[in-house]
Amino acid sequence: MTVNSTIAHQRLILSGDRERFKELLRRRLIECGWRDQVRMLCREVVKENEGNNVTFDLLLTRVTPQARALVPDSVKKELLLKLKTHLLTQKDQ
Amino acid sequence: MNDSGCIHLNNFKAAKGTNPYKIVHAFFVSCTSYEARRYKATSCLCFACGQTGPRMHSCLHCIYFACYGGHVLDHSKTKKHFLYVDLSYGNIFCAQCQDYIYDREFTDISRTLRLKEAKSLGISVPFTPWLPNNNEAMALRRLRKRRLISPHTTIGLRGLQNLGSTCFMNCIVQTLIHTPLLRDYFLGEKHKCKTQGSGKCLVCEVSKLFQEFYSGAKTPLTLHRLLHLIWTHARHLAGYEQQDAHEFFIATLDVLHRHCMNGVEDTEKKENGRCNCIIDQIFTGGLQSDVVCTSCSGVSTTIDPFWDISLDVAGPGSLQACLERFTRAEHLGSAAKIKCSNCRAYRESTKQLTLETLPIVASFHLKRFEHSSQIDRKISAFVSFPAELDMTPFMSTHRRAVDAADNNNAPEGIFEDNRYSLFAVVNHLGSLDAGHYTAYVRQMKGSWFKCDDHMITRASLREVLDSEGYLLFYHKTVLEYECEVS
Repeated sequence: MTVNSTIAHQRLILSGDRERFKELLRRRLIECGWRDQVRMLCREVVKENEGNNVTFDLLLTRVTPQARALVPDSVKKELLLKLKTHLLTQKDQ
Repeated sequence: MNDSGCIHLNNFKAAKGTNPYKIVHAFFVSCTSYEARRYKATSCLCFACGQTGPRMHSCLHCIYFACYGGHVLDHSKTKKHFLYVDLSYGNIFCAQCQDYIYDREFTDISRTLRLKEAKSLGISVPFTPWLPNNNEAMALRRLRKRRLISPHTTIGLRGLQNLGSTCFMNCIVQTLIHTPLLRDYFLGEKHKCKTQGSGKCLVCEVSKLFQEFYSGAKTPLTLHRLLHLIWTHARHLAGYEQQDAHEFFIATLDVLHRHCMNGVEDTEKKENGRCNCIIDQIFTGGLQSDVVCTSCSGVSTTIDPFWDISLDVAGPGSLQACLERFTRAEHLGSAAKIKCSNCRAYRESTKQLTLETLPIVASFHLKRFEHSSQIDRKISAFVSFPAELDMTPFMSTHRRAVDAADNNNAPEGIFEDNRYSLFAVVNHLGSLDAGHYTAYVRQMKGSWFKCDDHMITRASLREVLDSEGYLLFYHKTVLEYECEVS
C-alpha cells in the first residue's frame, strides 16, 4: 500500500464510512440474489464432500472464484463510483 | 458443524471468560465508539509483514495481529496460542482444529456489538433472517402441512363481489391486501386486539380478510361486514351510491389507525410523539413546508404528517414532473401576505413543500376530478409513471443541498436509499357520474393482476404502466431496520 492509500483507508475506518460502504455492498448483494447464489454454491460443495469434514478454507477455495465472477457489474460500478465520489469530496476536509 | 465451540475454546473460556473476545470485538471488529475506530484505523497491521490484510486476525491470548495463513500459523507455533478472532467478521479460528468454530455465547456477543456499531454510525441494522425459537421449531415439526409457492402460483388472489357500486371499496381492499408489509404484519398475526370478539374492530376484520385471501379458496368474497364497519365508523361514506376511491382509502386508514389504538396502553402508544401503529409505520411520512420571507429571508418551517400526496394534473406529463412541480418554491404574491415573525410585519413570501421523511408506502393521488362552482369534470390526460421511482430529488435534505448555490459538499445521500417500486394502481374508467374502478396489483415480483370486482386476470407490466392511473402505490424497495439495543 502506498502512503496515500493507507491514509485513505485509515480515514474511511475513522469516519465509519468503511462500514457504511460495507453495509451498502452487503445490501446490494442480497438484493440482486448474489448471496442466495453463493449459498447454493456452498451447499453443493458440502454435498459433494458428504461425510468428510468440510472446513471453511475448503469452501473458500472452491467457492471464491465462482462467487467473485457472479458479482454483477452494476454493483461493482455503483460501489466504485460512490467510493470515488466520496474520496474526492472528502479530500479537502 | 455446531455452535458449542470446541474443546480448546471451551478450555479458554473456562480460564479467561468471554472478556478477551468482547474487547477485541468492540475495538477491532465492530467499533462501537470513535476511540475504537481510531485504534482500528491506526493499529490493525500485521505484526509480521506490516500490511492491513487480507483477512487480518487478532490473537485471543495476547496482543498480536497477523494475516491469515502463514503469519497466524507462525505465531501459533512459536507462542502456542491457538485461538484467533477474524477482524472482518468476528469469527473464531482455532489453529488446533484448523477451522473456524462457532460458539453460541460468542455469537450472541458478536450480534449485540454489531447492533451497537450500527447505532453509533446511524446506519440500518444488518438484516438478520428469522430463526425459529424452540417453541416455533416444535410447532413446525408438529404441523406437517406445507404450502409450496411455485413461480406461477395464484396465492393471495381472490375476486370481490360488487355489492352495488362498491368497486371503490374493492379496489382499495385489493391494494391493501397486496401491500407487502401489511400482508407480513397480518399473516404474522401481529394484531393483538383488546376488544377481541366484539366484531367492532376493523383491524380484526382486515386480519380475517387476509386469512380468506390466502386460504387457497378461489370463490369471490363478499365484503358486507367490512363495508358495514366502515359505514359505522366513517359516516360520511354510508349509503349505496358510488364513492371516491381516494376518499375511501384515507377514511379506511383513519379507522384502522384508530382501531389499532383500541386497548393499547398510553405508555406504549407514542414514540417521539409519533404514533407507531402499523398504519402509521407503513403509511405516514412528513411533509415539510418552508415559508421564506422575501424581505428578510427568514425561514419558518413546519412539518406535517401525511398519508398520501395529492398531485395536480395540469395536462399530459409524468409523475416525476408532477412531483417536481409539487416541491417547487412558489411565490405567494402580494395578495397572500404572511406575518413574518422576524420582521414582525406582513410580508410577501415564497412557500416550498418537500418531503422530510418518506413513508414505507408512498401513495400518490392524481387529481383527475375537478369540482368547481361552474363545472365538475374529469381530466383524462395521460400521466406516465415508472415501475421504479427514486424519491431522493423530492426530499427536504436534497432540495436544500441543490438550492444552496455556494455548496461545496456533494449532496448527502451516498448511503441513503430512497428507491420505490410500484405495487398497485387504481384506475377510474368512464365519466364522472357513470364510472367504474379497477385495480392492478403486484402479487409477486414481476407478476401483475387486474382486479375488476369478482374477475381477476393476469396483466403485463406494460398494461399497468399504460393505464390512466388515479391512485398510484409505491413500496420502499429496500427496508431499513432500526436497532433495539440501548
